[in-house]
Amino acid sequence: MRILLVEDDDLLAAGIRDTLERALYAVEWVADGPHALAALQTNTFDLLILDLGLPGLDGIEVLKRLRAGGTGAATPVLILSARDAAPARVLGLDAGADDYLIKPFDVDELLARVRVLQRRQRGAAVNIIEHGPLRLDPQSLTVTIEGRPVVLQRREFMLLARLLQSPGQVLSRTQLEEAIYGWDAGVESNTVDVHIHKLRRKLYPEVIRTVRGVGYIADPPPPSLSA
Amino acid sequence: MNSPATRPGRSVRTVLLAGTIATLLVVLGATAWLSFKGSEEEAQELFDARLATSARVLEAFLARQVEQATITSPIVITLPGPLEAGGHDAPGPLGHYYETKIAFQVWNGNRDLLVRSASAPAAPFAPLTPGFSDQKFEGQPWRVFTLRSGQVWIEVAERDDVRSELAEKLAFAAVVPLIAGTVVLLVLLGLLIGYGLAPLASLAEQIEARQPDAVTPITLARAPAEIAPVLTALNGLLRRVRDALERERRFTADAAHELRTPLAALKVHAQNVARANSPAERQASLDRMLAGLDRTVHLAGQMLAYSRAAAAGEPAHATVQLRPLVAEAVETLQPRIRERALRVDVACEPKNDAIEVRGDPQQLGSLVSNLLDNAVRYAPEGGTIEVALRRAGNEVSLTVTDEGPGIPPELRERVFESYYRMPGSAGSGSGLGLAIVKEVALAHGARLEIGEGPGGKGTRVVVRFRPA
Repeated sequence: MRILLVEDDDLLAAGIRDTLERALYAVEWVADGPHALAALQTNTFDLLILDLGLPGLDGIEVLKRLRAGGTGAATPVLILSARDAAPARVLGLDAGADDYLIKPFDVDELLARVRVLQRRQRGAAVNIIEHGPLRLDPQSLTVTIEGRPVVLQRREFMLLARLLQSPGQVLSRTQLEEAIYGWDAGVESNTVDVHIHKLRRKLYPEVIRTVRGVGYIADPPPPSLSA
Repeated sequence: MNSPATRPGRSVRTVLLAGTIATLLVVLGATAWLSFKGSEEEAQELFDARLATSARVLEAFLARQVEQATITSPIVITLPGPLEAGGHDAPGPLGHYYETKIAFQVWNGNRDLLVRSASAPAAPFAPLTPGFSDQKFEGQPWRVFTLRSGQVWIEVAERDDVRSELAEKLAFAAVVPLIAGTVVLLVLLGLLIGYGLAPLASLAEQIEARQPDAVTPITLARAPAEIAPVLTALNGLLRRVRDALERERRFTADAAHELRTPLAALKVHAQNVARANSPAERQASLDRMLAGLDRTVHLAGQMLAYSRAAAAGEPAHATVQLRPLVAEAVETLQPRIRERALRVDVACEPKNDAIEVRGDPQQLGSLVSNLLDNAVRYAPEGGTIEVALRRAGNEVSLTVTDEGPGIPPELRERVFESYYRMPGSAGSGSGLGLAIVKEVALAHGARLEIGEGPGGKGTRVVVRFRPA
């Protein structure tokens, strides 16, 4: 799960980043509107957290341009703003935001709303992802297999969460890298393969299928397995 | 606040009405008196003439006939009875009641009364000397004319009160229209004063009815020349109050808004500390929280400084040395200057002479420190900041140049707005530094110029102080 954070206050951005990364999300941070639009055009994000009072290009304008079409036009958007008046919230939601949170906010509420947007993308009504014998809880950050807890490293969890977020969809190695690393972290060319290998060993081999020359896929489980 | 209470003065209406009434009373009194006197004099002349004529008529018809007659008892000529009962003022068919107030006597040379009217006494009205005289008879004043014709004396008398009654009536007739006119005049005057003062009353009413925060201009349907300046002055005051209120309101709203982000950051860091999974995470969040606290404290200080600078009216007129202000600001910024390996060059011209301006030392200090703070904030690591103090003639200028990214020409005005942050200057400052500089400069009548440093690099801000 990769999140783009657009916030001009560096300290607040650092705090949100800490929060999200500790909840095992990959976070990219930009401080103004033009950078946000550039990032959205060249990368895929699962969620955009957008401050409104941005220098240069206002957050609402960023949102309108994003929703106008092009890459990532459907990215869920959570507005984070100091503008608490109802008209400002209405304006934000009508401009295409999926949710609106007012500063100062509660970290647990921010995470809860992120999870809501995450499961809405899956078309699910609950946070927990069930996949055959697997159960992934994005709130407690735990994975069980037939009720038994499995201990996963952060990157392994993030990778699994990303694959289970869109089962049946082939994800390229680059997409998976982006889902588990920020831009700044140096990525070894075979780290994704290493994490996939470990996941198969800790869970079961068929959980992730390799699509040669393209990437990886978490096949939708056959009904017999999902009992 | 202690409002100086004004002792209520006399009302304009009272003064005008009282003055008018007093003047009219004097004029009326004088008119009545003069009119009475004039009428009395005229009446006297007229009546005297008539009295004399009556005497001559008596002489012509009576004196010659009775002159030689031997009369043992005087002939008394009586008036017809109903005359006396006929009322005082209305003439009856037989005569007039006032005839009782006219009397005559005819005497012969032996002082025998020959003829008299019923209203006349048996004794002589007056000593038998020719001419007019005033006599008292039965307690009443009489005017008597004595005429001598041969051996006969004719005395004709008339009650004096008839004359004064006429004079009174004439004077009264002259004064009555004046009194009526006065009453009409006073009523009209009252109405006119009311009309004239109505705008004042409406003004008072409008002011009275106002809420303390209602600062829209007062309008009057009719503002006479005397009230227009008051209205203009009042509306000028209201405009200034409105501006001040608006500034306060905006400042408060801005402050509340601007505090949300640092508070949000503090809250996030605090919760991150509480939720940390490891001591390292906890320490990292704690450090950020402390940095956030420092920044919030700085923001609060800047808000206060800005509020003070913006609210200050005429600054104090102390003589302020600029050189120590610069030195102090550099000293305060020293940790950050060292941390970022900056060099601060301070040049003064003339080299060893005082460079001073007039103003508020604290506010000018705030101007200098904010300019330098801004330069330190944007200067690249290892860069140089140039500060120049110049005095040429009586013109003093302060120039601060940094080697930072510079400010695009289209944003050079905006950077002086409160809470404006340049795009790309990721939330490090309060957004108030240059706004404080601007407010202080404005209050001190100094001009601000903003441009780029040498070779189009960095930012240069020049403050040109008003010649002392």
